[in-house]
Amino acid sequence: MPGWVEILIRSLSLLIALFFITKMLGKKQMSQLDIFQYITGIVIGSIVATHVTDLTTQFEYALIALSVWFFIPFGLEYIALKSKRVRDLTQGKGTVFIQNGRILEENLKKERYTTDDLLEELRNNNMYKAADVEFAVLEPTGKVNVLPKKENQPVTVKDIGLKPAPEKEPQTVVMDGHALLEPLSNASLNTNWLETELDKMDVSIENVFLGQVDSDGQLTVDLYDDKITVPSPSEKPLLLAAMKKSQADLELFALASENQETKNMYEKNSQKMQEAIDKVSPYLQY
Amino acid sequence: MTVGSQVKGCFSSIKSVEATLLSLENKTQNPEARECFHEVQSIISDIKTDLEKQVIYLSQQEPQYKN
Repeated sequence: MPGWVEILIRSLSLLIALFFITKMLGKKQMSQLDIFQYITGIVIGSIVATHVTDLTTQFEYALIALSVWFFIPFGLEYIALKSKRVRDLTQGKGTVFIQNGRILEENLKKERYTTDDLLEELRNNNMYKAADVEFAVLEPTGKVNVLPKKENQPVTVKDIGLKPAPEKEPQTVVMDGHALLEPLSNASLNTNWLETELDKMDVSIENVFLGQVDSDGQLTVDLYDDKITVPSPSEKPLLLAAMKKSQADLELFALASENQETKNMYEKNSQKMQEAIDKVSPYLQY
Repeated sequence: MTVGSQVKGCFSSIKSVEATLLSLENKTQNPEARECFHEVQSIISDIKTDLEKQVIYLSQQEPQYKN
């Protein structure tokens, strides 16, 4: 067999083997690999490279070596799933760099991190001032994660004390001018509904590049023709406005009324309306 | 505008609010939102009942503007 044919055969068969091995070993990213996976990756790569180009080696040996380097990491990962101790051994533990706002110099030294390295990693996490950091840890994958002090954390809805309405994921119901039936039925809607909504917006489905419906059944679309502006959904803001207006009206009637009984009735109802607005307004905002 | 027609206008806009809430309740997939819309609907419906009485009373008081 001429050498080039053998190289072709070896390359193709090892390519297929490699494809399945990498598939089986999972979809972790290069940056998320722990030490063990890192070594495995390099070794598997060089086994394949050697056996593909060096025709003096025996091809079976490549398969034996590959299977060792596949099954042992695979088995270890499986055991690591079950046992915390094995996990600590193979994947390593994180090293705390900053705790309670204090930098732990010993740990820095242990990981051979210089002050500049630490500052760089903090900057990567958008922290330019070490004093703003409450907690920082070097993950086993080599990434530094940072918890800023409470006053430097971005404000969340919880911090403001608002109670936001829960929202489910939207469904994409139109793509490239075609209605997608499965997402539509997921939102318990149908094509008739879609046609009606599109008619309301005065657009044809062929012109719709992307259409999504949220959990409240509101449809938003993007058109191929970017010159046309589509009205944004207005039902909820209009409802809120109508409720606020009626509340104001009721208050006005209460002021204008001279009969005490009627006045009380208007006042009571204006309070009720205010209560209703408070209750429903989280659901009417997006 | 007479008081009667003002109250009547408010009454009809409250009716429309109630109907919109009903349609939202039926459209939403979110059980919590559904429940909230339902609760608010019953509040609005109470207000509507009170206001309806007032509308009837006012139309008796201002028969000359009755339409």
